[in-house]
Amino acid sequence: MKNTNPAANPRLVAFDLIACVALAASVALATAIVLIATVLLLAGRAEAAEGPAGTLLLKRLDGGHAPSAPLLSTDVTFRVSGMVARARVVQTFHNASADWVEGVYVFPLPENAAVDRLQLRVGKRLIEGEVRERGAARRTYEQARANGQRATLMDQERPNIFTTRVANIGPRELVAVELEYQQTLRYDNGRYSIRFPMVVAPRYIPGSLKVSAPEQLGWSPNTDQVPDGARITPPVLRPEAGPANPVTVRVELDAGVPISQLASPYHRVDVRHVSESKRQVELADGSVPANRDFELTWVPQSTHAPQIAWFTEQKEGRHYGLLMVLPPAAAPGARLAREVVFVLDTSGSMAGASIRQAKDALGMALARLAPGDRFNVIEFNSSAQMLFADAQPVNPRNVRRAIDWVQSLQARGGTEMAAALRLALDDSDDAGHVRQVVFLTDGAVGNEEALFRLIREGLGETRLFTVGIGSAPNSHFMTKAAEIGRGTFTYIGRIEEVQAKMAALFAKLESPVMKSLEVHWPAGVRAESWPARIPDLYAGEPVVIAAALDRLEGEVRLSGTRDQRTWEASVPLALNGGGAGMGSLWARGKVESLINSIREGAPEDEVRTQVIELATAHGLVTKYTSFVAVDKTPARPSDAHLKLAAVPTNLPDGWEYDKVFGELPQGSTDSRHAMLTGAFMLLLALVMLLASRRRRFA
Amino acid sequence: MKPDLSWGAECAWPTARAEPTRSWPWRSLALALLLIGTLQFGRGAWIQAKAWLAQELIAHAWSRTLNGEKQVKPWPWADTWPVARLSVPVLGIERYVLAGANGSVIAFGPGHLSGTPVPGDAGNSVIGGHRDTHLAFLRHVKPGDALEIERADGKRILYRVLDANVLDKRDVWVAKQEGPNRLTLVTCYPFDALRAGGPQRYVVFAFESKNRGGERGTRG
Repeated sequence: MKNTNPAANPRLVAFDLIACVALAASVALATAIVLIATVLLLAGRAEAAEGPAGTLLLKRLDGGHAPSAPLLSTDVTFRVSGMVARARVVQTFHNASADWVEGVYVFPLPENAAVDRLQLRVGKRLIEGEVRERGAARRTYEQARANGQRATLMDQERPNIFTTRVANIGPRELVAVELEYQQTLRYDNGRYSIRFPMVVAPRYIPGSLKVSAPEQLGWSPNTDQVPDGARITPPVLRPEAGPANPVTVRVELDAGVPISQLASPYHRVDVRHVSESKRQVELADGSVPANRDFELTWVPQSTHAPQIAWFTEQKEGRHYGLLMVLPPAAAPGARLAREVVFVLDTSGSMAGASIRQAKDALGMALARLAPGDRFNVIEFNSSAQMLFADAQPVNPRNVRRAIDWVQSLQARGGTEMAAALRLALDDSDDAGHVRQVVFLTDGAVGNEEALFRLIREGLGETRLFTVGIGSAPNSHFMTKAAEIGRGTFTYIGRIEEVQAKMAALFAKLESPVMKSLEVHWPAGVRAESWPARIPDLYAGEPVVIAAALDRLEGEVRLSGTRDQRTWEASVPLALNGGGAGMGSLWARGKVESLINSIREGAPEDEVRTQVIELATAHGLVTKYTSFVAVDKTPARPSDAHLKLAAVPTNLPDGWEYDKVFGELPQGSTDSRHAMLTGAFMLLLALVMLLASRRRRFA
Repeated sequence: MKPDLSWGAECAWPTARAEPTRSWPWRSLALALLLIGTLQFGRGAWIQAKAWLAQELIAHAWSRTLNGEKQVKPWPWADTWPVARLSVPVLGIERYVLAGANGSVIAFGPGHLSGTPVPGDAGNSVIGGHRDTHLAFLRHVKPGDALEIERADGKRILYRVLDANVLDKRDVWVAKQEGPNRLTLVTCYPFDALRAGGPQRYVVFAFESKNRGGERGTRG
């Protein structure tokens, strides 16, 4: 109120002058900008968008939609006793349509499952399946299908991927396939675990297109690198189609020793306390969609933690046994300088929860590196990139750089794993380091064999450790890659597990390894045991051997060396616990050893003959033998047409559909939006400046 | 010197009453808006400028490619290189197609989707680009129009537009390889949308054509 005349105050006059000039400049600038923006925008708008009306000539390339597939539900019951489990899996195919249907379901089982029984249930009848050579089984099935008989065929596509086909399911009819398998539990760091995978995650199928088979059931064609691509890529439901394929799980657990911690990390369960060593576990929600692995873990009470276990079963004059021996914990040895190469899968299948888990795990690993070590990081999707051209010494600057780089990575594109493995296994560096490759991936690829060969040939003195990430990792890839890579494997299924699981992995990476393990059977006992070559043991891991013997006399002796010290243990063969299904486990171990020998150069034809003979004798499904069951009476009228339909599967929990199945490139920028909002802001600023002047002089 | 108060009504307002305490935050808000607005506008303009300047540099890289060099990076830190030259004679359009169709590449030019054959090779070559820069011309392309691809070896292949459709970003089947040799050009739709990231795509299908005779100078 004091200065009513602007001229009376020279400072105010100067300020007004500057403001006027600024205002003039702003008005000019804003006007120009708004004009430019308007012209740019209107130039675009002037052309009326022509509605593309033409029909799509190329629609036929789409492959069309599958006819209504049968609805599938699965009920699993585990009977766990000691360190083996027997599972009964009932797959019910419900044909809700008015047609006769042939249903095809591609599903996973544990990679070490010995599938030794299959029954087909039609109404009240149960038809026992038989194991035949794969081609013969298929022909039997096809014949039955053509005759209108209800029939089922179960093939093994990978050690952890199987297909059941059920022919001639009548309109609105239920047909069930009931299969059983035997498996050994995992015992690691004092904890038992059993996993049941529920869904075959979409796999990346590398290679170039091959002429497809007449019936195309998978979403991928066959390629030169994955000749059975179509068989391992069941159709995947879009997320909005809702979860399908309900699963119920029931575990009757008899641990043999008092149980102290029982956990189901991925599903809510109800646990019934039967006795100190027995529990009954069921899903709390009744059934869950088949979209992630089920896992149950438990820890024996510390005083009862097993050091040695020996179970046998007598069958047709032979004793089949399973031996487990846990060497005592190692004294911490002298720490050797290490060179660690981390490989991170950043393909589209990792998008979502998986990449967050992997980044977390990798961040933790990087922070844990010690001075004196060297490290490098590789990321791969459609191609592989290395952070440093060569492994770099561990120092805060390098580690910081690696952590920042890893955080900036995005999951998209293909899974060209071979390129990454080649980079990681190229150990042209100096020898003074123990070289370890830590491979973080979901293993969602179809060319496992080629990768195993690559690991085998490139390994040298490097050791490969796989870290299976996400809700449905490829267990076959994880375990076999680690076995061939002479390392070990870890699973991380939730972000909350990263800390504990990675800590356990570091303990293995940093502790001395038990090597040159050998098993010596007593003289005079004819024994055949698998694995033929016992793998090196990392901290907390037991030796597990399946054996067939002619009699149970004397002592079996185990020996190994760790930190230049010899370790020995012996177990009296007569001192055994009774077990069931040991024969299947032994045969399964032998089949695996035989298949491994192909990788080492054995002629496949010979191996094939041996596997078929062994598998038919023990009634096992293998890559060369299948189960087939045929109902005697024809059901389908000869004039009714049979429709083939693949059962669609869920996308694994936490995955992102668009990142896996791709999307068309995004063809737009925000430039117009930025220019327009920018122009508006400038305009607003101008109005505000004017208004501010109004107030000053009002 | 006295201010020229005759400049405008606001400046010449005669009875000024200083209220610095009230106008100061107002004024700084206005200045902040001015700054942000300029930056925002500049960001948009920069996208456009970069898109078109890059094509000039790429033109040079392409001429070196035609002279036999391989994977010529248009600027030293580029992670892409030209793989073909696309032209639409009717519209007087010329674009250099870069390797890779991800965001960091198509900022500088239409990108060739890796995994599909290089434009000019047998099969279905998929090219992606921005609807508001390099592939804005697609809205003017009509069935029957000729597209020409110049390959790295200098050979030219003629294509004719068969059809164009609005599809969803998940319609990845357009990249399938079965069928005749063709170009599949993908951009975002609608052309006039202001924001990036919509689910729709505008896809132009052009099939290889041996027939040069029907070429027209202008569209009929």
